[in-house]
Parts: sequence; C-alpha cells; structure tokens
Amino acid sequence: MSRVTVADAMPETCAVTTRGLSKRYDDEVALDAVDLQVPDGAVFVLLGANGAGKSTALKLLLNLERADSGVAEVFGLDTGRHGPQVRAQVGYVPERHDAGYPWMTCGRLLQHVAAYYPAWDHGYAEQLISALDVRRERRIGGLSKGDTRRLQLVLALAHRPPLLLLDEPTDGLDPIVRKRVLALLAEHLADSPTTVLITTHHIHEVESLADHVGVLRAGRLVAQMTRDALQRTVRRYRIELPDGWEPPRDLVVASPRAGRATREVQWTVVGEEREVTDRLTGSGARVREVTSLALEEAALALLPDDGAR
Amino acid sequence: MSYPALHQTPRLADVLREQVRAVALALRTPALVALAILLLGSALAIAEFVTGGGPVDFAPELSMVPAFVGLLFPIGVWKGERRFGTSFLWLLPVDRQRHALAKVTAGWICLMLAVLFFLVWIFVLALATGGNILGEHTVQLLPSAVIPEARTLDPAALRPIRYAPQPVFWLVPFTAATGTYLLASAVALGSRYPLRWIVGVPLGILLVSALGAAADIDWLRFLASRLLGAALEGRYGLDALFTARAESLKTAVVLSTGKTVSVWRGLPDVREWALATFLWFGAGLAALLAATARHREHRPPRRPRSP
Repeated sequence: MSRVTVADAMPETCAVTTRGLSKRYDDEVALDAVDLQVPDGAVFVLLGANGAGKSTALKLLLNLERADSGVAEVFGLDTGRHGPQVRAQVGYVPERHDAGYPWMTCGRLLQHVAAYYPAWDHGYAEQLISALDVRRERRIGGLSKGDTRRLQLVLALAHRPPLLLLDEPTDGLDPIVRKRVLALLAEHLADSPTTVLITTHHIHEVESLADHVGVLRAGRLVAQMTRDALQRTVRRYRIELPDGWEPPRDLVVASPRAGRATREVQWTVVGEEREVTDRLTGSGARVREVTSLALEEAALALLPDDGAR
Repeated sequence: MSYPALHQTPRLADVLREQVRAVALALRTPALVALAILLLGSALAIAEFVTGGGPVDFAPELSMVPAFVGLLFPIGVWKGERRFGTSFLWLLPVDRQRHALAKVTAGWICLMLAVLFFLVWIFVLALATGGNILGEHTVQLLPSAVIPEARTLDPAALRPIRYAPQPVFWLVPFTAATGTYLLASAVALGSRYPLRWIVGVPLGILLVSALGAAADIDWLRFLASRLLGAALEGRYGLDALFTARAESLKTAVVLSTGKTVSVWRGLPDVREWALATFLWFGAGLAALLAATARHREHRPPRRPRSP
C-alpha cells in the first residue's frame, strides 16, 4: 500500500515530532524514516502488526534506544540531547510486564518513583491505587501480569505527565479491570491536559478516546490523520463491474471483499468519496452504495491482511 | 509554538537520598546474614576468652574483611537491576551516567556505614575482653627486607621493636573497602557478563603459566606469577591497599637454631600506603567512569538532510 496522507491542516503545536527517524536491529528494519506528528492534547493511536515498530518508536522517544538517523522531539526537546528532561514529561507504560525491582514491595516502589518526580501528586496516587486495587504490601516479583500492569499505570499517571506513552496498556488485564482502566484514563484526560500516544491491538477499546490515528507497516508510517479524516477517507464501496473492467490506476484499495469473477464487489477504498466515486464511474464501474466504517474497521483496513493485529 | 508547562527533573541530592534508601533496603537480607555471622563469631570469641583463651585485640589495619565486603557489595547494590537494555533505572528522569554514579555513591555510603559498624563492634569486643585496643605489640624485625634461607639466620640478628600502628592506619578498612568496591562496581556496570571476567581472568593466568611450562619458556611460565605477585604483594599491590602491607611484610623464618618464628621484613609505611591507596583509587575511578560511559545517554543521530 502506498503512503496515505490526508491534507488536514497541520497542527499548530506538536507534543511529539519525528523527522526521518530510522532504527535497525542488525539486518531488520524497525523504523524507516518515520515522520510522526502527534498534536498537543491529542489521543493518538498508533496501530501496526506485531513487529511493525510501535514499541521501538516509543523507546526512541524516551531515549532508551538510539536512532540510526533522524530526529525525535517531545515538546520541542530533542530526545537525544534532553533525555532526562523528556522522561520527566512522560508517563510510560512499557510493553513488558515488569515494574521495577522484584524484591521491592509495590508501596516502596511507589515511594521510590515519587522521589524522582517533583510533580508527583500524592493524593491522586492514592486515588489511583484505590481505584486500581494495587496492594502496597505485595512484592513486585510475585505480581501477575494484570497486577503489574495496574501498578505500571499508577506509576505512569500519578505525576500527571503532559505526555503519556502507553504501549499496549490494557494487555494482561481482565475485562472488568480493562473497563475500569479506560474509564480512569478518560477521567485523567478530562482533569489533566495530556497528550497520549497509545499503541494497541484493540482499537475498539480506545475508540471513545482516540482523535488521531497512525499506522505503521514494517517500520514505515503509512498513514497518520485525524479520526474524522480516517473515517471520511476510508469507506466501503459496493461496485458493479462491467465485463473486462480494469480498476483505475493509483486507486488505493484497502481490502477487496470479493473476487473479480463476480459482477458486484465490495471494496474498502482510501480517498475522498467524491474523487473515488468519480474515478470508479469514469472507469466504467457503477457505484451502488458507499458506507462509512467504524473507526476500528477503517483503521484495520490500513493494516496488512496477513499480519497479526 | 507554545508548549504546556514542563515538569522539572529531580535534584541530584534527592536522587542520591532516594538511592541510599533503596540500596539500604536491597541490602537488608545480606546485612542480617552478616549480623548473624558477626554474632556467632563474637559468641565464639567470648566463649574462648571465658575458657581461658586470649582476648580479642583491635587491629583495624589487619582485618581484610572490609576489603572482601567491598568486593561483594555491588552484588547487593545492583540487586534486581538489569544494567543493560531497557532497565528500570534508565526509565527515570535522570541522566543515565549520573544516575549510575549516584547508585554507586549510595552503595558506597552504605558500605562505609557497614565498615564503621564492624569496627565499632570489634572495638567493643576488644574492650569487653580486655584486648589491646591500640594494637600495640612487639615485633621481630629482620636485619634486611630480604628473607634469609632457612637455618641461616642467627636469632641475635632479629631486632625486637615495640610497634603501635599510627592512628591514620585506622582508615585502612575504609580505604580498602572503597578501593575494592570501586573496582567491583566497575566490573558490575561495565560488563554485561561480569562472571565471565571473574572466572576468565584467573583462568587466563593459569593458561599462560601452563603454556609457559608446556613450551618450557621460563619467562612465560613466571610472567603470570610475577605479575600476580606484584599486583598482590608488591609495594603498591593489593596488600598495600588492604592492610598497608601489614600482611605481606610479615613472614615466617626458620632460625639457625631450627626454631620457626614470625618476623617482619619492615614496618608499614604511611606514605607507601597512601600512594598505593591513591593509585588503586585512581584505577578504580577510571574503570568506573569508563564503565558508566557505557550507559550514557544516547547521543542524537545525524540530522536528515533537508529536502
């Protein structure tokens, strides 16, 4: 699929900006010249199959990994030059389920991390601990995946960071806790001015929060746009095809639903509806129906069909 | 463009204070084990004293315990911390190299407190058993620093001297522990697999000696042992750091009468000890700085060319 760009107005201020950001691990490309723009105050969902480079992108933003080339900035701070200052602005939930030191108790770890963030809100931390049912006396080494994730969420949110980097934040949580976490996140966003960059395989979970979407495929950022632009430009077309019909060149077909043998097909096509309809009609096809898609469906249309989601 | 009010990074003093707390907590179990051993050793010493044995003397410069504690201390300091990769420590908003040094410093503070506690304990034990707290005793000094052949030394050639270590030697346990701690911390921080170095270096020395012996090359055969001898018992070797050479200057000789006695080749010298300590501290600090440089913040990559 070619790169999908939608001519929305450029955001005035970006919390996160990358330019030509590339990273390789030996022969494997993790990120390939990524130009990411996360507007200040946005909830930006970064989608991609496993290994598409989502976690690497977050690690580069925290200066935990070194980019091979390109620039990453968080609130205008070059992450390579101002790693500590950048990390002070960020609440990070890593993909891995380990939080701190196995020998420490949850309560001691919270106290430990609080010492590193002058903006730590003790009252809010207490609320989060209570809401997420984090038990202070438990040793971190003995926590389950879900328990660890809840602790990581408290650690990430309690200093009310201007930027949240959440890497699969609901992974390992049971449905009830997952719902509670999403509700907490919504409350947090309402109370604290925060930009969120979130990677997830479950876009429906964050559908109510997301306002921007980006798609990574094999390390390349193939799409980034507002939620409205995504839903406006990715639509399903029911098309009647004449015999011997050839599709117009450069038509970005995200997911054909039926083979060419049938006279009528349903295609998910990327592009402005009027333009797509005109091009299809001009090529001899008849557009029977155009339907808009839910956010998840529209976003998944931009992901590879064969990859895990 | 305007950005939201940005959060501050923590002050280095706050980071150090928190690291001292965290390291002290990490060392709680080994500290309890050490306390149990100390209690057991004290009980045995008191039992021996009560049953007619000698009292416990206080000779801080002779105790190698702090040096070995310093060697093992980084294991506790870095307990549960992945030093390479995405470690929890590196996620926190502190310059990585400074953060590593803050943790090492926190460990050093705990180590010094542990050494102080150990010395106070032995001092109290010496007082309780009526031991010599000034470490004053009579030593038999050889006429020269060269150890004579067995049965060649006339007992009359030995010079009995009343020797009391200078008070500055009370610092030896602290400096010895610091020196070994710096070197061990450098290995722990600089190497992804420290055990390979710990096992590999002695194995390498053995291998060189064995190769020298197999090939009948004398200089190669003795190279390792000479280097090792200089590093351990040389004028500025590890023994100078550990005990101000109180151990290596002491030896046993067989007198012409056939009697074996403990003699000294010389007396510990403050200047030599200070220089040895300075050299080992320098080596330890250089190694530590090189090791922490492996964890420094990633430098920014080259900027992409403008289109």
